[in-house]
Amino acid sequence: MSDTPSIARPRKPRTGLLTYLLVLALAAFTVFSARQIGFKWRSFVDMWTNPLWHRFWPVPWDWVLNRHNVLDPLVETFQIAIISTVIGCTLALPIGFAMSKLTSPNAPTFWFSRTVMSIVRAIPDLMWGKLLVTAIGIGAFAGAWALTIFSLAVMVKLFSETVDAADPRPLEAARASGGRHTPAVRTAVLPEVFPAFVAYALYVFELNIRASFVLGLVGAGGIGRVVETQRSTFNFDRLLGILIIMFVVVICIEQVSVALRKRLV
Amino acid sequence: MSLTVDQGTHDVIERPVRPRAGRNWRIGIALLLIVAALWSWTGLDASLQDVLDAPGKAWNILKQMWPPDFKTVIDRGAVGKIFESLYVAWIGTMIGAIISFPLSFLGASNVAPAAIRVPIRLLFNAIRAVPELIVAMLLLTVTGLGPWAGALAIGLHSVGTLGKLSTEVIETSDEGPLEAISAAGGLWVSKMRWGMVPQVLPTVIGYWLFRFEINVRASAVLGLIGAGGIGGELVSQLNFRNFPQVGAVLLMVIAMVLVIDTISGFARRRIIAGSGRQIDDDDTSRTVELIGDLGGSGLVG
Repeated sequence: MSDTPSIARPRKPRTGLLTYLLVLALAAFTVFSARQIGFKWRSFVDMWTNPLWHRFWPVPWDWVLNRHNVLDPLVETFQIAIISTVIGCTLALPIGFAMSKLTSPNAPTFWFSRTVMSIVRAIPDLMWGKLLVTAIGIGAFAGAWALTIFSLAVMVKLFSETVDAADPRPLEAARASGGRHTPAVRTAVLPEVFPAFVAYALYVFELNIRASFVLGLVGAGGIGRVVETQRSTFNFDRLLGILIIMFVVVICIEQVSVALRKRLV
Repeated sequence: MSLTVDQGTHDVIERPVRPRAGRNWRIGIALLLIVAALWSWTGLDASLQDVLDAPGKAWNILKQMWPPDFKTVIDRGAVGKIFESLYVAWIGTMIGAIISFPLSFLGASNVAPAAIRVPIRLLFNAIRAVPELIVAMLLLTVTGLGPWAGALAIGLHSVGTLGKLSTEVIETSDEGPLEAISAAGGLWVSKMRWGMVPQVLPTVIGYWLFRFEINVRASAVLGLIGAGGIGGELVSQLNFRNFPQVGAVLLMVIAMVLVIDTISGFARRRIIAGSGRQIDDDDTSRTVELIGDLGGSGLVG
């Protein structure tokens, strides 16, 4: 019937039974988990009318801007983030290559590095912080260790996936002309993926700044330590001052990092 | 002929000159990084001996964690705590998804006027800048100790991150379907419902699932400050230095995270493939894109 004058309306795509069942199951799971954790609609209202909120104001700026109270721990936070980004990302370069099918030297290295790294990544950064504080003592040193480990694990994942997607032909050419493994990878793959590497490193630095804000809550140094003391002594006005400073720092770093990443990629 | 090689006058093909551009820059940046790292080192208050000792100390504790003592922690209800973390992450994601989805339309430049768009975007950015743990800490004063504070904190934080991502998806959508609906006399609501939502939903749901994976990790640490879940168990075992129990809890956390990642990754792939898009066999590049796009949201923070 190719010469039908009226245009037939296209049939509406049917939603499968399985989709309905799945949505139903997920809805049921949502209700169930909400009940399990004590979901309360009231909290959405109480959030705004909490009598404690007025204790957050006014911010004691002379306390907050005093060098010893906030700025020194803030510098420590930066130092933790910088050193763990530099060490973590440097180590991630060779390990990331080992974790990609394209550039892995051999199968055991490939599987071993992948397995270890996915286990390391499965433990959240603050847990690393808590574990290392227990292992090597309270302080910024433990925090730097924790973030180094965690940024290494995040970085190798991002980076090895970029290497996976790299063009294999230069590498083949390098191998065909007799290049050994490491020089071949260095000259044929590294130049292609290096801009992405730098972009990810900037991203990991952002992550580390954020993470090092809260590391102090588990005793791993930085500004989180001050947050924890002020919270436990209920100095909420000071807390708000610290939060405002953290907020400004995060926004500034993100703007710079996003601008740099846009130029790189 | 300027090409001397073709003339056969040389026996050996000349090696191309290595590009030198940007060399000074590279050295400069490398130096800068080294200086920054050294400066950071001074702030850590650690001697070389500390560095050399640290792996030994860490290994010492790792050794004590084996064999893990599952029996004690399970008797203390660790399995329930693991599920509690899962519920917290799921409810947090749902709160984030339900609040952020309508807001993200109002934040998109091809939908909303600047007067609405700019405040909404500022809201997203403001929320994203505050770590979940801090939000949870503040919310504990509202809800009291317990998992609900954690879920609410994760939910609020997710509004910021999901809102930003969904807005970007909406802004890069194809305007053809919208035009077609306008041309057929459709209202703004129909344009959104039939033109926009079907286009963006698969990608947006992918982001929701991805956020769920991140939230599972986040909820696992919320217990550190008393906001429910497995983190509290880890802290109490660590504080009493019960390392076999710590080992068991850690293994349970690892198992939970890996299982959720696998399921969620499978679902994401299925949703994006089911929407009729062209994707690679493995969605690795997609993951990179997802994580890369996260901007500043953070895998954990």
